[in-house]
Amino acid sequence: MSDEEHHFESSDAGASKTYPQQAGNIRKGGHIVIKGRPCKVVEVSTSKTGKHGHAKCHFVAIDIFTAKKLEDIVPSSHNCDVPHVNRIDYQLIDISENGFVSLLTDSGGTKDDLKLPTDDNLSALMKSGFEEGKDVVVSVMSSMGEEQICAVKEVGGGK
Amino acid sequence: MVNPKTPSQNSPHLPRKKMEEDRVLSSVHSTVFKESESLEGKCDKIEGYDFNQGVNYPKLLRSMLTTGFQASNLGEAIDVVNQMLDWRLADETTVPEDCSEEEKDPSYRESVKCKIFLGFTSNLVSSGVRDTIRYLVQHHMVDVIVTTTGGVEEDLIKCLAPTFKGDFSLPGAYLRSKGLNRIGNLLVPNDNYCKFEDWIIPIFDQMLKEQKEENVLWTPSKLLARLGKEINNESSYLYWAYKMNIPVFCPGLTDGSLGDMLYFHSFRTSGLVIDVVQDIRAMNGEAVHATPRKTGMIILGGGLPKHHICNANMMRNGADYAVFINTGQEFDGSDSGARPDEAVSWGKIRGSAKTVKVYCDATIAFPLLVAETFASKRTKP
Repeated sequence: MSDEEHHFESSDAGASKTYPQQAGNIRKGGHIVIKGRPCKVVEVSTSKTGKHGHAKCHFVAIDIFTAKKLEDIVPSSHNCDVPHVNRIDYQLIDISENGFVSLLTDSGGTKDDLKLPTDDNLSALMKSGFEEGKDVVVSVMSSMGEEQICAVKEVGGGK
Repeated sequence: MVNPKTPSQNSPHLPRKKMEEDRVLSSVHSTVFKESESLEGKCDKIEGYDFNQGVNYPKLLRSMLTTGFQASNLGEAIDVVNQMLDWRLADETTVPEDCSEEEKDPSYRESVKCKIFLGFTSNLVSSGVRDTIRYLVQHHMVDVIVTTTGGVEEDLIKCLAPTFKGDFSLPGAYLRSKGLNRIGNLLVPNDNYCKFEDWIIPIFDQMLKEQKEENVLWTPSKLLARLGKEINNESSYLYWAYKMNIPVFCPGLTDGSLGDMLYFHSFRTSGLVIDVVQDIRAMNGEAVHATPRKTGMIILGGGLPKHHICNANMMRNGADYAVFINTGQEFDGSDSGARPDEAVSWGKIRGSAKTVKVYCDATIAFPLLVAETFASKRTKP
């Protein structure tokens, strides 16, 4: 299996990654797709119909994976794509030398296709918790075929 | 000159006080009735139109020249524009040594006319003056057009939905709640701009495609020619400008609803490039390469169109004719209110040029001017 396929392995075949919603109904804190990226909306402002044409919604949003700020302006009667965003918790089993992690799935199998998160704090927390022998549970955020560890919890005592 | 008889000649016995009074009186008399220079033959007499001859509109308009104040200025403006239209290179009796063979040919010289720059502000396009402008463009009576963004979009929008007559006194907040935009005593419903958006965005998409696939580099004037082609409506001056190959320059293209559309379009699909540098080359080129033609400017209103045309003509050491119709005043030093003589100091108008400024709202002055110049010349057999 090539590396590129890892991204799509975990998605259900046939389930759509986004659903449409009218721009005027998307609120702060919701999600939206901008330039193909799944984003969380941090600011919405609406300009009424006027010299610029139809009423418009101005979205400022943060890419949920790369934390980059993205902007879009959409007529408020237009439909936008809203990404499905899932969070699943897994127990951390192992961290390999090349940065990949091994996670315990619900069914008892392992999920080995994820790397350590790019966020240094999360990564350090995972490594220290793991080395101390504590039970580490990670939250994996998945959306539009992409996955990333977004949170780390230490559960249970160490050695 | 009549001198009152000095009292001493008549009656040597008058008291001194009375003699003093008479002397003062005669001095005041000669001050008030200071001998005047005769203007007969030097200046035109003031004479208005006599309605006893009936209501004859051409005569009425011609009488303005001798009516005084701005009527006279309008009369002079009509004269200057007619001179612009009548001038031929053949009228220039001195033929420079270094000119080409073609330029020496008399029949060629008969064919060379004055190049006319027409500038106007957007409010005039919102008004009915748009139809006067359309007439001039339709019959290729002007050579170059300069306007603001509103001057373009108001013309296009009128093909999609009309502008209505309102009143200066309509309250702003009330109009906003009804989705009506006020331009002076005109009203434009918001919906008109929505229609404009729906019409123009697909055209921008297509233009972006041509930019990417066919390496087209768009400029404001190229964009406007394209919009004139797309609107395909005989009531639009932009349509006729496209058909007659008359360039329309709009260096401030982003400052209007059209600019709003470019802004929104850039979010949906970014990358459309509009090059103003190419257009300044073209605009100034129109003036610089006009020679051996003379150049004339007809400018309605102030602001960008007024300056842009004057500036281009500076590149050829000044225009030969200039008619300004606006309500601007010069006391604040603004370019909009500046008289033609100020432009002469910059080299934008020649010292030898024929110039007039008519202090008048162009909705009154311009249709009357066109009636007595462009239109009457065209309808004459």
